[in-house]
Amino acid sequence: MSSVTAPASRAVSTDRAAADIWKPKKRFNWGFYVRHGVLITMCLWVLLPIAWVFLLSFKSLQDGAQRYIWPNNFIDPLYTHYEFVLTKPRIVGPVWVNFQNSVYVTLMTVVAATVVSVLAGYALVHLRTPGQRVILAVLVASLFFPTQVTAIIGIFSIQQRLGLINKTWSLMLPYTALSVAISIFIMRGVFQTVPKDLIDSAKIDGATSLRTLLGIVLPIVRNGVVVVIIVNFVAAWGEYLLALTLMNDASKRTLPVFLGSAAGGVGGLLWPRMAALYIVAIIPALVTFAIAQRWYMKGLQEGALKG
Amino acid sequence: MAEAVASSSTSVESKPIKGSRSPAVQTLLAFVKTYPYLLPAIFFFVGWQILPIYQALHISFTDDKFLDNQAPNWIGLQNYRDLMSDSLFWTGLRRALTFTVIFVPGMIFIPMVAAILIDRVTHAKVATVYRIILLIPAMIPAPLIFVLWLWMYNNYIGPINYLLVDVFSIYDLQTQPQWLNNPNLIYFSIAFMEWWWGLGYHTMFFLAGLATIPRDLFDAARVDGAGEWRMFWGITIWRLLPIILVLTVIRFGSAMAVITEYIIMGGYDRTKNTYTWTVYMYDTAFGGGMQFRGYAAAIGWMGALFMLMVVAVMFYLFRSRD
Repeated sequence: MSSVTAPASRAVSTDRAAADIWKPKKRFNWGFYVRHGVLITMCLWVLLPIAWVFLLSFKSLQDGAQRYIWPNNFIDPLYTHYEFVLTKPRIVGPVWVNFQNSVYVTLMTVVAATVVSVLAGYALVHLRTPGQRVILAVLVASLFFPTQVTAIIGIFSIQQRLGLINKTWSLMLPYTALSVAISIFIMRGVFQTVPKDLIDSAKIDGATSLRTLLGIVLPIVRNGVVVVIIVNFVAAWGEYLLALTLMNDASKRTLPVFLGSAAGGVGGLLWPRMAALYIVAIIPALVTFAIAQRWYMKGLQEGALKG
Repeated sequence: MAEAVASSSTSVESKPIKGSRSPAVQTLLAFVKTYPYLLPAIFFFVGWQILPIYQALHISFTDDKFLDNQAPNWIGLQNYRDLMSDSLFWTGLRRALTFTVIFVPGMIFIPMVAAILIDRVTHAKVATVYRIILLIPAMIPAPLIFVLWLWMYNNYIGPINYLLVDVFSIYDLQTQPQWLNNPNLIYFSIAFMEWWWGLGYHTMFFLAGLATIPRDLFDAARVDGAGEWRMFWGITIWRLLPIILVLTVIRFGSAMAVITEYIIMGGYDRTKNTYTWTVYMYDTAFGGGMQFRGYAAAIGWMGALFMLMVVAVMFYLFRSRD
């Protein structure tokens, strides 16, 4: 990245070398300030709403119900609202149950989607797959079909026939299916960066295709796997409509359904307490991202975005 | 996509597997060896995507009412005939289309600008910080995004109207913008939220596209005296065009099918502009009343067919003319 403008500035500076003797003062670099000005504005646009909720979670209850942004009084001690939402049984009960459901479903979805897309991506790129074109065509077509909306009636009737309504774990079936096409395309893009020779030589050494995948190829594409994990984590952790539709029983639902329906305040939950609950709810995803972002960025660069 | 498909289907294929087996046997062998890898994908994809879509098609030809506990009757195309004269469906389609027209250009343009600017940041660490910050909203679960912006747009405690009314005095309490209640504003309000949400993710696509442009092109252009503006219109935009077109088609698809946003931010009010064909379908199938699944499935399929037609037209218009 650092080599991007270096040659250009050198070219310009040789042109100006003579002139610089007379005008040693550096020209005001408009491009630099405009560029960073716009980018910082965008970053503020992204950060300020989250910062506002964060601030709200520390306001006193009176100030939390007011319009002004900066409160007259912060709650004392500062963690009061967090303590409240994390210990009051009236809130903790349902939240804890729904949170556990979310963790449970999300983990199963992520594991299933990763295994599925790694195996399928590998087969589509490095194994001889009869009917490959048909498979890819169907997968591409599915990306342009409004599956989430059109299929939901069908998903309900299938889950009902299988007796899976109100079985929380069963959400992982449609969740995995919804992102399976995109996950396979991500893994396919990453597997295409692995040289064929490597796989052929492993084959000559007598390794089975599964050994080759697990022992040689998988370590190379691990950044791409991180991308698949994050994509599926975010999708499953935040899915609302299916969880709302397939789970009638409040105790079987996931956290997003609870929080989505609690938007206007649940059981007289006051704004600052809602805000504290909100921050608690987004922390798991943000921490996951903070830990994984290095591999995630690398994975994206390595070809995950090619699909 | 088509060329990528064609190019990747070779290599192993070209080598005869063992000795001189007939091509049919070889195909069979490859089938037996490869399909175990594809089986899990097929299980999920067929079971919870293909089958439900087919199931919805099947239901759409019946008069299935979920709550009447009677076996549905096959009524052929009756639901579709009724839909033709159902003004609520066409209004819903028009509403979704209006939102899409407002949403898609911004969702392409803003991230493209961000990507071009980040691409020019020479300091690698600073560029990474920008990327990470812009990606933060992409990590927040969808319903929490909507809840956050419900607060932002709120009339009583929302910071946006606080700034407009109390700080800058552009409006007063009576005239303050009703972001989610004014039918002319609501599409923009939701689109603005979606841009916020998708900014980082889409920027990554454009950055990946920009990374493939050879740097010498810009250097040569600079030597020829081209300014930033000329270079953008002469080089960058053409190199990014494939990404722009793909994102346009994909975002058209997701914008037409938006549903959770409308349900959380607008509810099930038929007169509201958030009551699109998707909400109409969901409300008919799972809302109050008898839950007319048959009719709802027909709504879903008609909407899907309409979208596929538009996508087909887009593919035709955007086809590679090289």
